[in-house]
Amino acid sequence: MSDATSAGTRVGGRSDDDQRDLELIARWKSGDERAATEIVERHAQALARFAVSSGERSEVDELVQDTFVRAFHSLDGFRGDSSFRTWLFTIERRLLLDRRRAEKRRRDRTEIQEDDAATAYDALDSVVADETQQRLRDAMERLSPTQREVFGLRVGEGLSYKEIAEAVGTTEGAARVHYHNAMRAVKEFLNE
Amino acid sequence: MSDCPNAEMRDLLPDLLHERLDASLRAAVTAHVGACEDCRAELMLLEGVQRMLTKQTPRVDVTYVVGALPLASRKHAAGQPAARVAPQRRWADWRVAAAVAVLAVGGTSAALMERSNAIVIPGDTVQVVRSNPTPEPVQATPATVAGNPTPAPERAAAAQSTAHTRIRSTDTEQVATTANDGLGVGRSIGDMSQKQLRALLDDIGSMQAVPITEPEPVSLKVEGTRSSSEPEDL
Repeated sequence: MSDATSAGTRVGGRSDDDQRDLELIARWKSGDERAATEIVERHAQALARFAVSSGERSEVDELVQDTFVRAFHSLDGFRGDSSFRTWLFTIERRLLLDRRRAEKRRRDRTEIQEDDAATAYDALDSVVADETQQRLRDAMERLSPTQREVFGLRVGEGLSYKEIAEAVGTTEGAARVHYHNAMRAVKEFLNE
Repeated sequence: MSDCPNAEMRDLLPDLLHERLDASLRAAVTAHVGACEDCRAELMLLEGVQRMLTKQTPRVDVTYVVGALPLASRKHAAGQPAARVAPQRRWADWRVAAAVAVLAVGGTSAALMERSNAIVIPGDTVQVVRSNPTPEPVQATPATVAGNPTPAPERAAAAQSTAHTRIRSTDTEQVATTANDGLGVGRSIGDMSQKQLRALLDDIGSMQAVPITEPEPVSLKVEGTRSSSEPEDL
């Protein structure tokens, strides 16, 4: 599947985008601070979309910032085996999981009632005006966390199953199964 | 909404959406979508999801993100990933040296003062002076400055504090400077900031408290120095 697709012109097995990322990383390592800005500009919005598609509703900026901070501190460990963006998704996903665990602990401690959570959701939902989009959003919220991640990366970011497998920490085949199960679930919800 | 039986084509719809197909494959998938109602509906669904995600995603403040990133020049300059630590370590070493200097000066001067105040025999006083080969202790300050390029304000502060010490007690200053020279810490004092010099003076001042509260007349037969019993303003 991934062999059949092309994300821009590929040079030496890398796309132009990947090549550009590596150049920017090298520039930043050599002391060019502006390269960091360009790196952030290239990937910040995709990271934010992934956060939203994974169900993150608040402090998306902070999550994206944390992802970049962690990535930049670990840049020496980035070997370029996967694309830089996929590597960023991997980091962001770990942060998301940490955040959810912390949130769960906090909820367990404060024992927030189900009604309170529903109220908060309703307030946020009012932002989404379009009814169709609201339906799509509701459909995605019914997916399992892994299905949401895979579906978001596939539909929202156009990642291949191989890239999704790297980001989510699963196999290519499992990523494909998650995607098709998610698509089926979304269709079923919309057909109800 | 039903599924197209052509799983391979369905699989490629997200790639068509994100324009990740090469020309030949894109043409094939596009042709299939044109003829397949299910795939057309699914492609519209995918576009709707993509649009929804884009719309719901807040615009990231790039400046905010970049502001928290580590500085490349500090992280990777000269191939030293831990370069940021080095200045802190130097600063810590400097502080340790300053602390040692304060303790050494304070402790030694206290010990010497105790000796000079406890025994008022002139012979013992001469012993104190003999340990300092410099006849005029105040001259140590310019010598220190010349040996170590200190910023002008700091030099002025050092000179001022030295003069201040002289006003407070000539004898004490002589003993303190003697101790400094003997331990070789005069250079470190010259490097101190005004704030640290003040702290040092306060330390020395507090050590003077015992002899001052016990105004015992002491006569020092040392050339060029006044007796500690003389009033300071004379």
